[in-house]
Amino acid sequence: MNDHAPSPTSRRVVMGFGDAANLPEDDELPTESMPLNMGPSHPAMHGTVRMVLEVEGEKVRTVDVQIGFLHRCFEKEAENATWTQIFPYTDRLNYVSPMLCNVGYALAVEKLLDIDDKIPERAQFIRVIVGEISRITDHLTCLAASAMELAAFTVFFYLMKAREWLWELLEEVSGARLTHSYVRIGGVVADLTDDFCPKLRDILGRCRAAIADVDKMLTSNRIFRDRMDGIGIITRDDAIGWGLTGPVGRSAGLAYDVRKDHPYLVYDRFDFDVPVGSVGDNFDRYAVRLEEMRQSMRILEQAMDRLPAGPILLDDARVALPPKREVYNTIESMIAHFKLIMDGIVVPPGEIYSFTEGGNGELGFYIVSDGTGRPWKCRVRPPCFANTAVLNKILPGLFIADIVPTFGMINMIGGECDR
Amino acid sequence: MAGEKQAASGPRAKVKIVIDGRPHEFPAGLTILEACQRVGIKVPFFCWHPGLSAPAVCRQCLVEIRGFPKPIPSCYTPVADKMEVITNSPKVLDVRRQMLEFTLLNHPIDCPICDKAGECLLQKHYFDWDVRLARNDGSKVRKAKVVDLGRHIVLDQERCILCTRCIRVCNEVARQPDLVMAFRGDRQLLTTAPGQRLDNPYSLNTVDVCPVGALTAKDFRFSMRAWELWATPSVCPGCATGCNIEIHAAHDVIRRLIPRPNPAVNKYWMCDEGRLTYKRVHQDRLVAPLVAGAPARWAAALAEVARLMAWARDKSPSSLGVVLSAQTSNEDLFAFSRLASEHLRTDRVYLAGAREGWCDEILVSADKNPNTTGAKLIGGPTVRTAADLKQDLKIGVLKALLVLGEADAVSPLDSLQTLVVLASHQGPLVTAASVALPLAMWAETDGTFTNRQGKVQRLHAAIAPAGQSRPGWEIAARLARAMGAAWTYANAKQVFSEARDKVMLMSGADWGRPESPVQLRFANSRG
Repeated sequence: MNDHAPSPTSRRVVMGFGDAANLPEDDELPTESMPLNMGPSHPAMHGTVRMVLEVEGEKVRTVDVQIGFLHRCFEKEAENATWTQIFPYTDRLNYVSPMLCNVGYALAVEKLLDIDDKIPERAQFIRVIVGEISRITDHLTCLAASAMELAAFTVFFYLMKAREWLWELLEEVSGARLTHSYVRIGGVVADLTDDFCPKLRDILGRCRAAIADVDKMLTSNRIFRDRMDGIGIITRDDAIGWGLTGPVGRSAGLAYDVRKDHPYLVYDRFDFDVPVGSVGDNFDRYAVRLEEMRQSMRILEQAMDRLPAGPILLDDARVALPPKREVYNTIESMIAHFKLIMDGIVVPPGEIYSFTEGGNGELGFYIVSDGTGRPWKCRVRPPCFANTAVLNKILPGLFIADIVPTFGMINMIGGECDR
Repeated sequence: MAGEKQAASGPRAKVKIVIDGRPHEFPAGLTILEACQRVGIKVPFFCWHPGLSAPAVCRQCLVEIRGFPKPIPSCYTPVADKMEVITNSPKVLDVRRQMLEFTLLNHPIDCPICDKAGECLLQKHYFDWDVRLARNDGSKVRKAKVVDLGRHIVLDQERCILCTRCIRVCNEVARQPDLVMAFRGDRQLLTTAPGQRLDNPYSLNTVDVCPVGALTAKDFRFSMRAWELWATPSVCPGCATGCNIEIHAAHDVIRRLIPRPNPAVNKYWMCDEGRLTYKRVHQDRLVAPLVAGAPARWAAALAEVARLMAWARDKSPSSLGVVLSAQTSNEDLFAFSRLASEHLRTDRVYLAGAREGWCDEILVSADKNPNTTGAKLIGGPTVRTAADLKQDLKIGVLKALLVLGEADAVSPLDSLQTLVVLASHQGPLVTAASVALPLAMWAETDGTFTNRQGKVQRLHAAIAPAGQSRPGWEIAARLARAMGAAWTYANAKQVFSEARDKVMLMSGADWGRPESPVQLRFANSRG
């Protein structure tokens, strides 16, 4: 850490009397390991998680990461809600990128309904746009919080400000700043606002500047690098073995991105790169996220350029609500509206595993339908569940102070991990 | 009536037909619709009902038969050898849509205020088979919205889709032709004959069979949205027939009872009187144990009962009596008769119950107790009658009496020194009792009733017991323990199993599978 501090061997406390210099080396004061609780409520534990540490001085000997403090019975609740009513629950999975969770869930149900190839093109582009905005806000939050925990408060403000611009834009579209519930089975609930694209272009310009500033402030910053370089190294084999995906997996050299490897929506039409790390340490995870934001901006610009006109919701009253004017004035649409709201969309019996690239990696939904208006089972594969598990492996041997940036760069989101 | 099929080629004859390209074999006489239902092919219908005759008036179940120029109503046409039926051709689907379009043409936009919304066949069929926007924007034919048809029923003539199911229920089930159709074409409407009312004892069945919300029950109307209700299978406690029912409840309040099909007991029906038996579950309940008229804790009340009973038993066992009620379940009866013989050591066990009432040859039985058969089996040949009880009370040989459930015959009470009552309701017996213990009712407990045919039928708890009331078998077990016995009953099923092993003629009975309440919203629009 600090070059001026004496090395552990140069200064010793000894027992007994006499000349310290004459004492044998192994008479050092014996240390005892000590249990230490970090969390569940701890300033550096963003997200409610508890780590039971066994420390020897400042060194971490063993770690037991305990999750579940934000368990909200998502999967059980989903069994008692109609297919559409589940969207607000998905908002609360990864609550810094709710749009990505919305989209992931909608795609799963649409595949089960066999309408995934009928979703209007404009709706697919809008889903990509709001999803990539969400990915940027996700990474902004992660980097901002982690920088702040390493005392870089300016970075926090720069990035939070950028995040706010994006969230305000999403609020204009969806009506909610954070819990958007914007996507619907069959499309999205409302069209983009008229001045959405010019506004987004303007915001992207300002975000680029903010990210460039942060890049300058952190990437070559000695303090930052000392805390990040070589800390919490994950090898590529470990990444595969532990099922790590997203920026954490990619920083370990695993070039897996669902958008590239199993393209969904219209991702195969865009030109973008997948950044991959070489060391797998905290700094790689930071650098990968920084670059991913830039790539998301590339996708956004291409999507805005090619955004087609057309409907935003599937024209099928079995799935999507009919227009309000029809509902109030004709019995046909009134019945369709009633059935969709009260009984729910009728999804044919079957099962599906559908996965997308969430903010933290592969966000999967395993859904079983029994042919009624609600899922029989709705299992989530939260990316940061696997990512958090690897902490038990990489934290032992580090200093207590290293836990903070390592945990920050793993980016566990309680809402998603605990469901 | 229902089920009388034409058997042209003998009762066992089989015919081979092809439905949607797959060969099947059915007994002759079956209709195409029933054949489709047996093999899981969905064909929508409005006017057809499994318990009624088929007039084929709604034309919703039309299917194609190869070689026939026009679509054929499947509910009316029997299967015939080598017939080839098509239920899913573009033509059939188109006809289905057109029929729905006709039916919806003059249907009012009432779903938000309609009682049937959520369990409506018209909603279901439109959503399953049509789901197209309206093509008609003309004005609809208006008819009367609120027609008071009778004691229990209100009719909305606009909502009626003219299926005539209700007319057939009156004609074929109640055997009282009260309802008729008047006028023709789009002015056609359902009504009663001039000066007549829909007042037969089975009138509420018309509400069940109504595929839409035209006929509504005054009792249920506007009280609850149907999809919020939870359905629990049970048995009507109104008389010895034991009609199978579903209890529809929400938040521990029963909102209605509807018949559950059972071909061996009640087919698809039940009487109006039975439907309203649920009212008593929520009226004048005894909600806490009473000792000398004052509320007491269960433990104190049970200790007092144990003390009183032990004292009476030890002083003079021949003056101690136990009254069983045919209103209570087999489990309660078994537990109390065991208590009487093993721990009270009395042979003065009486069987009482509700007074006899009216009856008919359709469903209603004169015996207004749901479990007379079960009580007689459990009580055995030595059980004394209500008349014996009255006589013994009059001559004063009884000094102490333990009464389980409701019984009319417990009077006069003058000669009694001790009276312990297990009652679900307030009443003169509770007022006179030394100790009164609150008893859970049929809708609040698991158990069985044995109907007049000797069928042991299962009750499921649909709501929580009122106040502090508990099931009779549980009270018996706690009482026995308070008197020093080692009874270990933990649930009604254990009592049932023991009763089945020990009581003659109950040996074939089956406890059945556990049933948890189903919310109607997710019961797939049963219609």
